[in-house]
Amino acid sequence: MNIAQQIVNGLVLGSGYACIALGWTILLGVARLVNFAHGQLYMLGAFVTWYAMTRWGMPYPVAIVAAIVALAILGAVMQRAMMGLVISQNLTSLMIVTLGLGYILQGGSALIFGGNPQTLPGTLSHAKVELGSLWFTWQDVLVLVATLLLYGAVWLFTQRTRFGSVIRAVAEDPKLAELFGINARVVYLLVFMFECSAVALGAALVAPRSPILTSMGFNEVIMTFVVVVLGGIGSIGGALLAGLGLGLFIAFFGAYVAQAYTTAAAFALLLALLVIRPAGLAAK
Amino acid sequence: MSVIETPPSPSLSVMRATAIVALAVTGFFLPKLFGGTSVAYSTLTTIAIFAVMCYGVDIVLSYLGEVSLGHTLFWAIGGYAAANLSVKYGVNGWVTALATIAICLVAAAFLGVVTLRTREFVFSLVTYAAAVVAYEIAFNWDAIGGSDGIVGISALKLPFGFASFSGASQEELWPVAFALLLLTLGFIARFRRSKLGTSALMVQMNPALATSLGIDPRRVRLAVFVISAPITGLAGWLYAYQRAYVGPDMFETYFLVMMLTSVVLIGRRILLGPLIGIAILIAQQNLLSLGGDWNKIILGSVLVVVLVFWPSGLVGLFRRLVNNRS
Repeated sequence: MNIAQQIVNGLVLGSGYACIALGWTILLGVARLVNFAHGQLYMLGAFVTWYAMTRWGMPYPVAIVAAIVALAILGAVMQRAMMGLVISQNLTSLMIVTLGLGYILQGGSALIFGGNPQTLPGTLSHAKVELGSLWFTWQDVLVLVATLLLYGAVWLFTQRTRFGSVIRAVAEDPKLAELFGINARVVYLLVFMFECSAVALGAALVAPRSPILTSMGFNEVIMTFVVVVLGGIGSIGGALLAGLGLGLFIAFFGAYVAQAYTTAAAFALLLALLVIRPAGLAAK
Repeated sequence: MSVIETPPSPSLSVMRATAIVALAVTGFFLPKLFGGTSVAYSTLTTIAIFAVMCYGVDIVLSYLGEVSLGHTLFWAIGGYAAANLSVKYGVNGWVTALATIAICLVAAAFLGVVTLRTREFVFSLVTYAAAVVAYEIAFNWDAIGGSDGIVGISALKLPFGFASFSGASQEELWPVAFALLLLTLGFIARFRRSKLGTSALMVQMNPALATSLGIDPRRVRLAVFVISAPITGLAGWLYAYQRAYVGPDMFETYFLVMMLTSVVLIGRRILLGPLIGIAILIAQQNLLSLGGDWNKIILGSVLVVVLVFWPSGLVGLFRRLVNNRS
């Protein structure tokens, strides 16, 4: 195992974590909403892409768009159901409701897509790039580039546009924002739809790496939560750095210590941080 | 609190005690009333065990207002302690129960201290992550069962000095499960009236007032979380003997969703709420099952519908209907 290859592996893993974490970071940071159905949304994004490609014969880019649209619609429906709780900021109930929604999605997907493991046919995942002793796939390059572009775009959007400041106003105080003529319900709806389509995109990009199952739930994306908390909740730059950093940590820990206990190691890292800096790395 | 509350009159407390005894006796003979079949015994034993499991989550959710997603960890600790100690060292049920309580207290104290400064979703996420890590360890560590788990746990043995109790069949396990349920109910009822219970509620409702009255919110949170753990742990302990098998499936989200749904279905802060809630859920799954995937959809929908439309549970809905009519 050489160190350069582990750095590549770490970046590959980390960009995947950051990519899947983006929607959640926005949702948490900007709208202060929690979504424990995140794992099931990831699963659904992967399965819609798979279905569109294998059953309807769509090419990969079109299937990705189909998954994004499907999950945006689903997100709108979910948010519509939760709107009362969101407006009253009943966070405890919201957490449990999203857990229940995730359970519904899991049961429903098993009925529609069946219980067998499937593989997302990504042609790019088989296209290897070899540089001397290093290797990775074009899919990995795609994930890294897409992640960097997405984070850049979202950062510009939330920090530099009028709609970005509207979202932040609602996050700060929904009632006050409404007094200024902002429709908080529409903002919450759009942010939640963004979270769902972002996780669909993440799933379509990252899922070709491993087999997909309808029973994969939150465990599949548990690392994204470590990313969100490590990065400082809601910090866009923090999440990107935390994602890449965590990827490197996991790659080295898996290669040199124990592959079976990487989640445990990541969690130990998180616990240590929570004791030292409860607000996350990015906090001032 | 004792200043405000007037002590109940003696005749009232006698009546209450009689009612409780009558309920307990009826409860004990419930499997007989349902025909005394082995299905009746096993369903009611399962309800009793799962109800105890839910009460651990109940006191955290109802009195602290926090969502613990890590109670499957304590549930599994109970199961793994019972399985490992009884299979490898042949010790009796008292020893495995004591071990369960001890390990649960230590694990909960550790998790509680670490999450002391976190609230709401960070608390929930960290407790959930703790369960995921424990799952990973249980799955990979062959010494405690590994991915196959431990098969062939011998019947529960609880020696009482002169006599010995053994729970080989569902009929024989029922008294133990029922006794554990009664103990738990008694404990919860006491907790609700204790200083800790009232302080916890005050911390949840009005932290500033609680602090000004000299209550340390962090200590209260830690204490409630720590005492909740062995309750769920003991349920897992008995579950291991009932199933004669433990494995990493004890960490499944199913148990977590059952715990939360049973509490919110009837309504938070109601003594018998989780028991009635879990009885309804288990009756649906055992007697009116539509298959695993549909059961998931039903369970999830119950959770969503109740919280969205009747946030105070079925009891709240009932009260509203009664109030509208009068």
